[in-house]
Amino acid sequence: MATLAASSSSLIFSSPSSKLSQPSLLSSSRLSLSSLSQLSPLSSSLSVSPSFAAYPTPSRRLFASSLTVKASAAGKKKVLIVNTDSGGHAVIGFYFAKELLGSGHEVTILTVGEESSDKMKKPPFSRFSEIVGAGGKTVWGNPAEVGKVVEGSTFDVVLDNNGKDLDTVRPVADWAKGAGVKQFLFISSAGIYKPTDEPPHVEGDVVKADAGHVGVEKYIANSFSGWAAFRPQYMIGSGNNKDCEEWFFDRIVRKRPVPIPGSGMQLTNISHVRDLSSMLTLAVENPEAASGNIFNCVSDRAVTLDGMAKLCAQAAGLPVEIVHYDPKAVGIDAKKAFPFRNMHFYAEPRAAKDILGWQGTTNLPEDLKERFDEYVKIGRDKKPMQFEIDDKILESLKVPVAA
Amino acid sequence: MARSVAVQQQTQPSLSLLPSSFSDFNGTRLHSQVQCKRRVWQTKGALQVSASISKNILIMGGTRFIGVFLSRLLVKEGHQVTLFTRGKAPITQQLPGESDQDYADFSSKILHLKGDRKDFEFVKTSLAAKGFDVVYDINGREAVEVEPILDALPKLEQFIYCSSAGVYLKSDLLPHSEKDAVDPKSRHKGKLETESFLVSRGVNWTSIRPVYIYGPLNYNPVEEWFFHRLKAGRPIPIPNSGIQITQLGHVKDLAKAFIQVLGNEKASQQVFNISGEKYVTFDGLARACAKAAGFPEPEIVHYNPKEFDFGKKKAFPFRDQHFFASIDKAKHVLGWEPEFNLVEGLADSYNLDFGRGTFRKEADFSTDDLILGKSLVLQA
Repeated sequence: MATLAASSSSLIFSSPSSKLSQPSLLSSSRLSLSSLSQLSPLSSSLSVSPSFAAYPTPSRRLFASSLTVKASAAGKKKVLIVNTDSGGHAVIGFYFAKELLGSGHEVTILTVGEESSDKMKKPPFSRFSEIVGAGGKTVWGNPAEVGKVVEGSTFDVVLDNNGKDLDTVRPVADWAKGAGVKQFLFISSAGIYKPTDEPPHVEGDVVKADAGHVGVEKYIANSFSGWAAFRPQYMIGSGNNKDCEEWFFDRIVRKRPVPIPGSGMQLTNISHVRDLSSMLTLAVENPEAASGNIFNCVSDRAVTLDGMAKLCAQAAGLPVEIVHYDPKAVGIDAKKAFPFRNMHFYAEPRAAKDILGWQGTTNLPEDLKERFDEYVKIGRDKKPMQFEIDDKILESLKVPVAA
Repeated sequence: MARSVAVQQQTQPSLSLLPSSFSDFNGTRLHSQVQCKRRVWQTKGALQVSASISKNILIMGGTRFIGVFLSRLLVKEGHQVTLFTRGKAPITQQLPGESDQDYADFSSKILHLKGDRKDFEFVKTSLAAKGFDVVYDINGREAVEVEPILDALPKLEQFIYCSSAGVYLKSDLLPHSEKDAVDPKSRHKGKLETESFLVSRGVNWTSIRPVYIYGPLNYNPVEEWFFHRLKAGRPIPIPNSGIQITQLGHVKDLAKAFIQVLGNEKASQQVFNISGEKYVTFDGLARACAKAAGFPEPEIVHYNPKEFDFGKKKAFPFRDQHFFASIDKAKHVLGWEPEFNLVEGLADSYNLDFGRGTFRKEADFSTDDLILGKSLVLQA
C-alpha cells in the first residue's frame, strides 16, 4: 500500500494551461496538406467486424487550415439537442447548448421526460435557466414524439444525446430526415471499441458489433449524408450529473484510503466537458468536413487510475493513500466499487484533430483544482457518507481506516 | 466488412521515396507468415523542392542501425553522404534482401571519414577541411561532442539530431507531447543538453525523439528478446501487470522521418516525436511478436521484480512504466506517417534478421530461470 504525499509530486505540465493550444500547428500545415485529399485508414487491426455491410470507412483527411472556424463563415444554425435526463452524458448537452448560443446559433434542448420530474432537480437541469437566459429554448417530452414536442419547428442540426440503441434513436432520426434536417449528430460511446493489445482506440478500429450504439451509428450513416458520431469517455465539469472526480475527493478529504482495483496502471481518458462541446461545435460549423465521420470525443491525454487519484489529491492539497486490490479475491463487483473500467479504456481524438483541426484544452491538474473548489463550496466535503464497499475491501486487505 | 484500403494513385515526383527502397530489403516478405496489408507509400507534399538539390551530407555514425537505412535513402536521393566513424565496424554491409546491384551502387557512393568523435580537435579540423551542408548526428550523446561540429561548419544549413523520447519527465498524463516537461536528471540528459546547446547556438537544428526503435539489424534486444524465447519455446516473463504500455517505431519509418525533415523549413528548430501509430502493452507485444514470427501464442508469466536480485542483468528490455509519445506533430507538420503497423514491422524484422538466424545478442535465459524457478517452487 502506497502513501503518496501530494506535495512531493512532480510538476506535470511545464506550460500554463492557457498555452495548451498551438496555433502554429494549424497555419504551418497549410502548405503541405492542402493538396492531400485522402489519408489511409489508421487501424492496425487484422480482424474485421463482419456486420458492417454499408458502414462507411471513415475518410480521414489531414486538416487543411483553409477551413475557417467561425460561426459567421458557416452561417447561423438552428440546432435541436435531444438530451438524456440523467447519467454521465447529460452534461454534454448543457455545455453544447451554451456554446452554440454563445456563438450565435439558435438552440432548443429537448430533455427526455417531464419538467416536473425529480430528476430535473439535479445538475445540469437545475441550471437550465442559463440556457434560457442565453436565448435558448428548453422543452420536455418523449423523443419518440419529437416532432410533436418541438411543435413543428424546423432545424438544420439535430444532436441525439440520449439514445443508446436504435429503438430509442430511430424515431428521432426518422423524424429528422423527414423534416429536412441536414446534419444529424449522435453521442455514441467509446465503450463500443473492442479491447485491444494496441491502444489507443482510434476511429476505424473494430467495435463490438452487437453494441446498441453501433446499431445507431450504422443507421444514421445510411440515413443522412450529413451525419457524424461522437464517442466519449468520462467527463468532469461543473453541472455534471454523474460523479467522476467526486469519488476520489470523497475519500481524500475524509482521509480514507482510495481503493483502486488491479495495478492502478490502467489508462483512461477523463475530459473536461468543454472539450466535447468544442468538438461538437466545430462539427456544426464545419458540416462538410465533419460529415461521414466518427470522432472520439475525448481529451488528448490519458491518465492512469493511480494518476487520477494523485491529481485529485494534489488539487485538494491533501495527501492520498492508494490501496490496490483484486476484486475477485475480495469478492466484490468492481463495477459497483469503482466508477471507472478496470482495464485500459483509452481512446484518442485523432479524427477531430485531423479533420476538424480541433485542439484539446483539458488540463487535469488545473481543472481538478476548480472542481475541488466547487466540491467544497457546495459543502460536499462535510457531508456524512457511508463507504460500505470500501470498508469491505479494506477489511479484507487488513488496511486500517482513519477514524 | 472488408475494409477497403484506399490507395492513392499519384504520379510519383522524381524524388519520391518509392516502396522499392524498402522492398530491396523486403524480398522475403512473400514468405511472411502474416498477411500484411501494405499501403502504397504516398509521397507527401511536405518533401520540399530544396531536398532535390544534391547536398553534401555528413552522418555521425551510420554503420549500425538507423544510419544504415538513412544513408541508403540519402544516397538514393542523390546526396553525397559521408559517414564519420572510427572504422571499427565495416563501413557498409550488404543487407538481407538487398540486391547485389543495389549494394554495389550504394557502397561505391558512400564516403568514409575515419576518426574518433571524442577527439574534438580532429573533428573540428577534419570537418572544416571538408565542409558539409548538413549534419545528421545519429550517435551523439553529449553536448560537448556537438560543439566542434558547429565550430567547424559556420555555414551549416541544418543540424539534424537523433535525440530520444527518454528525455520526457515521467508523467501520469500521457502520451508525451513535444511540449511536455523534460527531465533534466534522466538517463538521457546528455540528449537534452545537446538539444539546449543547439538552441543556444542559434543554428538551424531539428531534433527527432524516437521511443523504442525496432527493425532488422536492431542492436538493442527489443524484438530479439522476445524472439529468442519464442524460438526456444519458453514462457515470456513480464514484470508486474503486463499492462504497461510502450511504443515501438520501425527503423525504416524513422529513416523516412529523417529524410522528410531535410531542408524542410517546417522542421526548423523543431522537435518531433517519431514512433509507431499505435502503442502496445507488454503482454500485447509478446503476442504480437509471436504472431509476426508465426509462433503459437506464448505463455506469459508475470512476476514482481522486487522479489528478485538480478545483479547487473536486465530481466526485461523495457522500462517498467508506461512510456509512449504522440506522433501527431510529425504527422500534421511534416505530413509523415509510419508505414509499418506493429505486427507487419515485427514480421519485417523477423524475416530479414532473426528469422534468418542472425541476432546481436546470444540468448541468455538466466534471469528467466530465476523467475520461473521461483514460480515453480511457489506452485509446488
